[in-house]
Amino acid sequence: MDNLLAARSTMAFSLGFHIIFAAIGMVMPFLMSAAHYRHLRTGDESALALTKMWLKGVAIFFAVGAVSGTVLSFELGLLWPEFMQHAGPIIGMPFSWEGTAFFLEAVAIGLFLYGWKRMKPWVHWCTGLMVGITGFTSGIFVVAANSWMNTPQGFTWTGGVASDIDPVAAMFNPAWLHQTLHMQMAAIAAVGFAVAGVHAFLLLRGRSPDLHRRAIQISLLFGAIASLLQPLVGHFAGQRVAELQPMKLAAMEGHFETSTRAPLYIGGLPDEETRTVSWGIPLPGMLSFIAFNDVDAEVLGLEEIPEEDWPPVAIVHIAFQIMVGIGMLMALIAVLFFWIRRRPQFPPWFLWTLVAATPIGFIAIEAGWIVTEVGRQPWIIYEIMRTEDAVTPVPGMVYHFALFLVLYGALAAATVWLFARQVRTAEHAVKTLKPEEGSA
Amino acid sequence: MIDLLVFFIAVSLLLYVLLGGSDYGAGIIELLPAGRLRDPQKEAINHAMGPVWEANHIWLILIVVILFMGFPLLFTTIMTTLHLPMLALLVGIVVRGTAFTFRHYDPVQEGRSQTVYTILFGFSSLWTAVWLGISVASLTRGFIDPDATSFHAAYIAPWWGIYPLTVGAFVSGIFVFLAAIYLIGETDRDDLRQRFVRLALGANIYLVLAGGLVALASYGEPDPLPAQFLRHPDALAAPALATLLLVALWWRIRSRSNVQIRIIAVSQVSLILLGWWLLYAPNAIHTTTGALSFYAEAAPTATQKQLLLALLIGSVAIFPALYFLLRVFKTEHNKPNET
Ligand code: HDD
Ligand code: HEM
Ligand code: HEM
Repeated sequence: MDNLLAARSTMAFSLGFHIIFAAIGMVMPFLMSAAHYRHLRTGDESALALTKMWLKGVAIFFAVGAVSGTVLSFELGLLWPEFMQHAGPIIGMPFSWEGTAFFLEAVAIGLFLYGWKRMKPWVHWCTGLMVGITGFTSGIFVVAANSWMNTPQGFTWTGGVASDIDPVAAMFNPAWLHQTLHMQMAAIAAVGFAVAGVHAFLLLRGRSPDLHRRAIQISLLFGAIASLLQPLVGHFAGQRVAELQPMKLAAMEGHFETSTRAPLYIGGLPDEETRTVSWGIPLPGMLSFIAFNDVDAEVLGLEEIPEEDWPPVAIVHIAFQIMVGIGMLMALIAVLFFWIRRRPQFPPWFLWTLVAATPIGFIAIEAGWIVTEVGRQPWIIYEIMRTEDAVTPVPGMVYHFALFLVLYGALAAATVWLFARQVRTAEHAVKTLKPEEGSA
Repeated sequence: MIDLLVFFIAVSLLLYVLLGGSDYGAGIIELLPAGRLRDPQKEAINHAMGPVWEANHIWLILIVVILFMGFPLLFTTIMTTLHLPMLALLVGIVVRGTAFTFRHYDPVQEGRSQTVYTILFGFSSLWTAVWLGISVASLTRGFIDPDATSFHAAYIAPWWGIYPLTVGAFVSGIFVFLAAIYLIGETDRDDLRQRFVRLALGANIYLVLAGGLVALASYGEPDPLPAQFLRHPDALAAPALATLLLVALWWRIRSRSNVQIRIIAVSQVSLILLGWWLLYAPNAIHTTTGALSFYAEAAPTATQKQLLLALLIGSVAIFPALYFLLRVFKTEHNKPNET
């Protein structure tokens, strides 16, 4: 593995790890606040039990999110010094605001987790809500920083040096809106589904049905609304990409030759050598329609640029297919949910569907980031700086990568193990609630 | 404007040491034999650190962000030439943060898993503290060579040696000292209180010895520390004053007034940092070819302006929030925490 590949893999792995915890850290507090609100308004004891159950999850996932995020802020320099040298002053601004948001979040989480008996109930509730708001805001800031790498602006680039820097213009670059909207929606959808999946599993095992039913009602309401909106936002994102990064779109679709009435492939494996897509089902004109709202529009193909500037087409295409496929599936489950939501009991087939769907939102998030980040290659700053020119001169990055594989592998295993332990104990604790406390 | 940014770095660094540092110290204290006080001690530490460690940790992130936005060359120089110490630091940060949280949130509160968490938390605290010291010492040794060609010269030599290691040992001592002092006020048990008093005094003695070792080891460096201090009498005054304050500390430490003890200890540590800062500021990094100063390496004005704006507005939001946090948790320590 050469240095560049090792550095890219390390970055991808660290980010792919962090994003799971970041998404949970952004959305879980809202679910928790919703349950807590219900308890405070109605005195419902099972909502309180639920709040406390979720709170423990928030605490461990938050901690892993915080340490893996700290690692990332160092890694920007450890892996991409040449990039940070130039990009730091341009996109540091959202990071500095993010810092403020983190601070408030860290304070709020301390207050919420430990402050049950030390604040008035509604003040305490507000601190929980603040955790969600600040976490959500920080997510928006980081994604805005990332979007600048896709559509860099707010500076003049001459002879490899940036001048006339305008950090505000850099943050509000053309891609920031669709990326932040889509990412935040993704986080809500993924976390909502995952939480619902876990509770569906517990419900199927016949434990404290009221509690788990309430949990599914709350989490899947968030998840289902986001999942219904997500394909629309994704469509908007696709149109922006068609306009701003036509070659990324071409890679997403395995579209090699510029053509009008361009086909959209369902499935398929693009082959860069022969410039064809095998095994896909083409829908003629659909790509033109999706990209430009017109079946006859011309869509640029990868042939427009030299092959050395191509992103890895197959990876981007497959990742995109996975994301869109899951997006459709989640929207379908969301429709089902709204259809049977008011029934006194969820049918088992629906619960099993939720169990099966537990990880899919996160898979879509990972796939979506692969589309965005791998689709930007070979550029680290789109059409300004190549990734190979930004990588650290420190040799032996493969060991750095191996170290992180081991460290994060162990951390992931430990987190899953602890989470399972918590769920088991929480189940036990709820079972021993007095009957009138356990029912809503 | 650069002055203000540098001021923010200095304040963040100070607060990271004073607040975050004590969290490291607490971890190291848990490594020391405690006999039957082990469990109550763990209790007191969980209780003191739990609500605040997240917030204490952010000062480090703030320093990183100010550096990469405001002083990119300093940031990238550190991250390339000190790649290995930074990596060691990160591993430590990951392990200790998760070990501490897991220990608290594991529903099984006794048995083997708790021992494993405590050991991991303790060793990673010590490990990270030592590497922090090594990294900081490496910045000003003058062995950083951005144009080096061999692996050793470029990535090992900057931080290799006895001197940085002694600084690491000194920094760990400071952290233990702070932790012991803060913990005195976090418990109502007399035996535990006595233990923390003894630990604080022990850390004092250790620090005087370790300080001597640092000075001694610096004779293996191109520019020994005592000589540097003699050239900067103002920088010398600060640690001298800190040593004098030992008298006040020893006089008051057995008293019941936690606030006084804390103020004295915090002043001592701040003075030591101040001395170090006066010795080197405004230079941040000494390389083989000269010093890189905050002033020469700052980002363009537009960036500075935005960064400062974020920091000022951030301060308006953060300091009241922090005040609220400390008021809620640090006023009546005997109320039980509920989680
Ligand atoms: C739950 C997760 C999820 C789901 C169901 C979808 N996406 Fe997505 N997608 C993401 C999660 C995501 C993401 C992880 O959040 C990305 C990565 C970067 C970003 O801003 O959002 C993303 C990126 C992304 C991009 C690239 C944006 C860019 O590079 O600037 C496009 C074009 C789409 N998506 C389109 C879609 C479409 C048409 C979907 C139809 C259902 C869809 N996404 C569902
Ligand atoms: C958390 C969600 C994210 C994931 C899963 C993700 C994923 C990836 C992947 C897969 C790569 C490797 C691409 C390749 O080399 O082929 C990459 C590269 C990179 N990402 Fe992201 N990314 C995320 C968000 C961000 C954000 C918010 C930033 C910040 C500004 C960022 C900055 C970078 C940088 C600097 C690189 C290295 C340069 C490059 O390979 O182009 N990423 N990321
Ligand atoms: C799409 C990408 C990202 C999103 C949505 C995101 C979001 C978040 C959130 C919500 C947190 C709070 C911790 C939690 O609630 O679990 C967090 C932590 C953190 N993130 Fe990320 N992040 C992303 C990528 C990055 C990148 C690229 C960096 C670094 C350059 C980074 C740096 C950090 C840091 C330093 C923390 C720790 C803050 C603390 O201690 O609370 N993040 N992130």
